[in-house]
Amino acid sequence: MKLNIKFIILLFVVLGFSKADVYAQTSKYKCLIQMVSYEGEAAYVVVSLVNKAGAYEKTLAVLGPDKQWYNTLKDWYKYQTKAKEKLSAVTGASIGGGDRAIKILEIDNAKMNKGYTLRFETAVEEQKYHITDVEIPLTTVGITEMAKGKGYIKMVKLNKVQ
Amino acid sequence: MTLSIWRYSHLSLGLISSVFVLILAVTGVILAFDAVEEKVPSYRVENFNDLNLSQVLPELRKVYPEITELTVDHNQFVSIDAFDQNGEAVKAYIDPNNGEILGQVKTKSQFIQWTTALHRSLFLKDTGRIVIGIASFLLLLITISGLVLIIKRQQGIKHFFAKINRDFFAQYFHVITGRVFLIPIFIIALTGTYLFMVRMNLIANNKVERVQQKVNVDAAKIKEAAFPIFKITQLAEVEKIEFPFIADEPEEFFILKLRDQEISVNQINGQIVAKTKYPYSALLEKLSLDWHTGRTSVLLAIILGLASLNIVFFIYTGFVITYKRTRTKIKNKFKADQAEIVILVGSENGSTLFFANQIHQQLLADGKSSFIAQLNQYNVYPNAKQLLIFTSTYGLGTAPTNANQFQNLLQKFPQQQQIEFSVIGFGSKAYPDYCAFAIQLDELLNKQTWTKQFLPIHTVNDKDTEEFTQWVKHWSEKSLITLATAPAVYNEKIPDLKKFKVIAKTLVSDDNSTFKIILQPVAKLKFKSGDLLAIYPAEDHRERFYSIAQVNGKIQLIVKLYTTGFGSSFLYQLEQGNTLSGRVMLNPNFHLPKKVKAIVMIANGTGIAPFLGMILENKKQIPIHLYTGFRYRNVLTQSYQDFASAEINLGRLNSFDIAYSREENSQYVMDLIKKDATKIVNILANGGVIMICGSLAMQQDVEQVLETLTMSMNNIPLSLYKDQKQLLSDCY
Repeated sequence: MKLNIKFIILLFVVLGFSKADVYAQTSKYKCLIQMVSYEGEAAYVVVSLVNKAGAYEKTLAVLGPDKQWYNTLKDWYKYQTKAKEKLSAVTGASIGGGDRAIKILEIDNAKMNKGYTLRFETAVEEQKYHITDVEIPLTTVGITEMAKGKGYIKMVKLNKVQ
Repeated sequence: MTLSIWRYSHLSLGLISSVFVLILAVTGVILAFDAVEEKVPSYRVENFNDLNLSQVLPELRKVYPEITELTVDHNQFVSIDAFDQNGEAVKAYIDPNNGEILGQVKTKSQFIQWTTALHRSLFLKDTGRIVIGIASFLLLLITISGLVLIIKRQQGIKHFFAKINRDFFAQYFHVITGRVFLIPIFIIALTGTYLFMVRMNLIANNKVERVQQKVNVDAAKIKEAAFPIFKITQLAEVEKIEFPFIADEPEEFFILKLRDQEISVNQINGQIVAKTKYPYSALLEKLSLDWHTGRTSVLLAIILGLASLNIVFFIYTGFVITYKRTRTKIKNKFKADQAEIVILVGSENGSTLFFANQIHQQLLADGKSSFIAQLNQYNVYPNAKQLLIFTSTYGLGTAPTNANQFQNLLQKFPQQQQIEFSVIGFGSKAYPDYCAFAIQLDELLNKQTWTKQFLPIHTVNDKDTEEFTQWVKHWSEKSLITLATAPAVYNEKIPDLKKFKVIAKTLVSDDNSTFKIILQPVAKLKFKSGDLLAIYPAEDHRERFYSIAQVNGKIQLIVKLYTTGFGSSFLYQLEQGNTLSGRVMLNPNFHLPKKVKAIVMIANGTGIAPFLGMILENKKQIPIHLYTGFRYRNVLTQSYQDFASAEINLGRLNSFDIAYSREENSQYVMDLIKKDATKIVNILANGGVIMICGSLAMQQDVEQVLETLTMSMNNIPLSLYKDQKQLLSDCY
C-alpha cells in the first residue's frame, strides 16, 4: 500500500514536470566562453540560473566531464547534491587555458527581466575556485552584452539564436 | 649472484607495485576494449586523406549556415557543432563531403568514465596520480629486469627465442609470454610514466610564442573557398577548426588547430593573422597518448589490451612461482659436521628441493642424521657416509643458480673419508640437454678420490613421481634405510586430510607386540589394499606411513608397537570411537594385479597387512600363494592362520605357509621359498607376479634367494622380471 502511494506521487510529479515542459516557452542562446591563458589543467565551468535571492534554480551547462572534480565547484556542488539534476544533456568537455568554448543555452522566457542572473563559476583542479567568475543579468538588453570575467574566464558573450 | 640480484629486484618491484599494477592492468584491458569498440561503426570517409579545407568548408556551409566548430578526432571521424537550415542545433559525426549526418556523438558511458578515472588516479586526484605514476615507473623497471632475466636464462640474446625449460605451468607461462609481450608492456609503462610526468609538470613545458604575421590591411574581401590557407590545409592535418563567433567581424578569426600548430585566419580576407607552433613536448605527449591508449589503431589497441591482460597473469603466475620457490623451507636438525647423510640440492624453481626435502624429512623421522643444503653451500662433512645430490638443469644445460659454484667448491673442500654418492637428475626430455648438469656432476664426483658411486645416476623426467620412486626403492633396498615408495608421497599436490574413526583395536601382550587397528573413513573415500595411510601423531609436519588393508570398506592396519615409537604409540593409545586425521596416499604400483595367472605374496612381520586386504579383494580367484615369516607363534599368527583357512575355503587363497624364527625348528621365509622353489620359479616364468612386503633386510635376502633360483633353474636374472614389473615390493 505504501508503495502504491509513493508510486502515485511519483506519477503526479512526472506528469507535472512534463506538462510544464510542454507549455514553457524557451529561447536558445549561443554562448561563447573565452578563457584567459593560464597554466595548468583544463578548467571546469558551470553555468547556472540564479534567482533574485541568489539561490540556484537550474543548471544550464556543465563544462567538465569527470564527476570526481564536481566538488571543487563548492557552492554549485552543494546545490547539486540536493537537487540531483540530470546533467548528461548539458555536459561537455572542460576548457583549457586560452581556449574557447561555445555552448547552446536554453533559457525560459518567463525568467527574463525578473531579477534572475546567469552565473558562470569556474575551478581548476588543485588551483582556485571562482564562485562568480562572470555574472550576466537576465534582462532583454543585458543578456547579449559582452561580460568580462574575474577569474579563468576572459569574457562571455551570448547571441540569441534565430 | 648477479642473477639473484636481478631476480630479487624483479620480485620485490613486482611485490611492491602488484596491487596498483593489477588495478591498472584490469582497467587497461577494459579501456583497450573500449578503444577498439569506439571505432565501430566507423564514421571515417574513404576519401578523407584527399580532402582539403577549401573543398570541405563551402559544402558544409550549404547545409549548416552557422557552424561553431569542426573536429577531427583520433579515429579521423569528423564531427560538427552547428545549426542547420531550420535553426536546429546539430552535434554529430558527418560526412565532410556533403555534411550528411553519419551518427551521434556519444559521450563515454558512466562505466568507462569511472574506469578511466580509476586508471588515471584511483579516484584520489593528485595523490592517486602520483601512486599510479610510480607504479607505472616500477612496471618499467620490472620490464627491464624481466628482459635481463630472460637474457640470462637463455644465456645471451642469441638464444633469446630458443626453447624455454618447462618446470611447471606458471613458470613456463611467465617466461614465454614475457618474451612475447615485453615490447608492448615496455611501451605501456614508458608512455604511462611520461604522461604522468607531463601531468605533474615534471616535464619542462617550453613556451612557444604566438607569432603575429604581417597583414595587408587593405586586402580585398574574398570567398572562404578561395582562402589560400584553406587550399593548402588538408583535412587530415586538422584537429579542430573554431569558426568566428560573430560573422563579418574582422576581429573574430577562424582558428585552425592543426596537428603541429595553431593558425588564426582573418574571416574577411583569408589572411593569416598569427601562428603558434606547438612545443615539442606537446607533440611527444600526444604521441605518448596515442601509443599508450592505442586510440589511433585497432591493431595497437588489441595488442595493448592483450598485453594488459597478460600483466594480470604475470602477477598471478609471479606469485605462484614465488610461492613454489619459497614453499619448501630448508630445516636442519643436525649440523653439517654431524650428519651421516648429506643431501645437496640444485634447484631453480623449488621443485627439485621439494623432492629432496621429502627424503630429508623421512630420514629425520627415521632417526637418521640427515643434513640438507644447497649445492653452493658445499663444505667439509667429516661424519658423512652418504651423499645424495638432487639437481635440475637450468637454461641450456648449465647449473641452476644455487649450484653454479659447486664445481669450484668441490675442488676446494676434498673430503677426508670415503663417501658413497648417488646423483638424481631432474629435467624434461622435451629439451636436448636433458639432465645435462646432473650427468656432469655424476662424472665429476666419480673422478674424486674420496667418492664411491652408491647407485648409478638416475634421471626423473617431468617430475614423474613414479620414476623418482624407482630410485627411492633402489636406494632404500641397498642402504636398508626405510623410505616411502608410494609415488603419492612425492606429489606436490597432496591428498586432502580426512577424518577416520577407530572401530576396533586389538591389544598387545607379553608374547605379542603387534596390534591390529580398524579405521572407518568418516566421509566416503576411495582406496585399495596396498595404499598407504599417512598419519600425523603430533599434528605437525611429521608424518608416518602405514600400509593399508581394505577390509569391508574399512582400513585395517597391522602395527608393531615400539615403546618409543612416534607413530605406533600414538595409534595404540587411541580408543574405540576416537577420530584421527590422515591422508590416503595412493600406491598403484602395489595393488593386487588384475590380469595375472598367479601371485606369490611374501611378507614378514607387519608386512602381511596389505596382503590380508588383497586376498579379500581377490574376487577373480587368481591363485595366490602366501609365504610369511614371524618370530613367535601367538594369538595374532593364530588369527592369520584362521583367516587363511577361511579364505582357502572361499577360493580366494591357494596356499599359506608360516615360518617362525624364534620357535623350535627356527625357519625364515627364505626357507619356505627354497622349499617351493620350482613352483615359484615356474610362476615367474609363466608371467606370474611376486609381491614382497616387510622389512628391507628380508627383501634383500628374498631377492638374493630368488636371483639364485631363477639363474640356476632358468638362467634368467631376477632383474629381467623386475623390469617386466613381475616383482613388486613395498618394504621399509
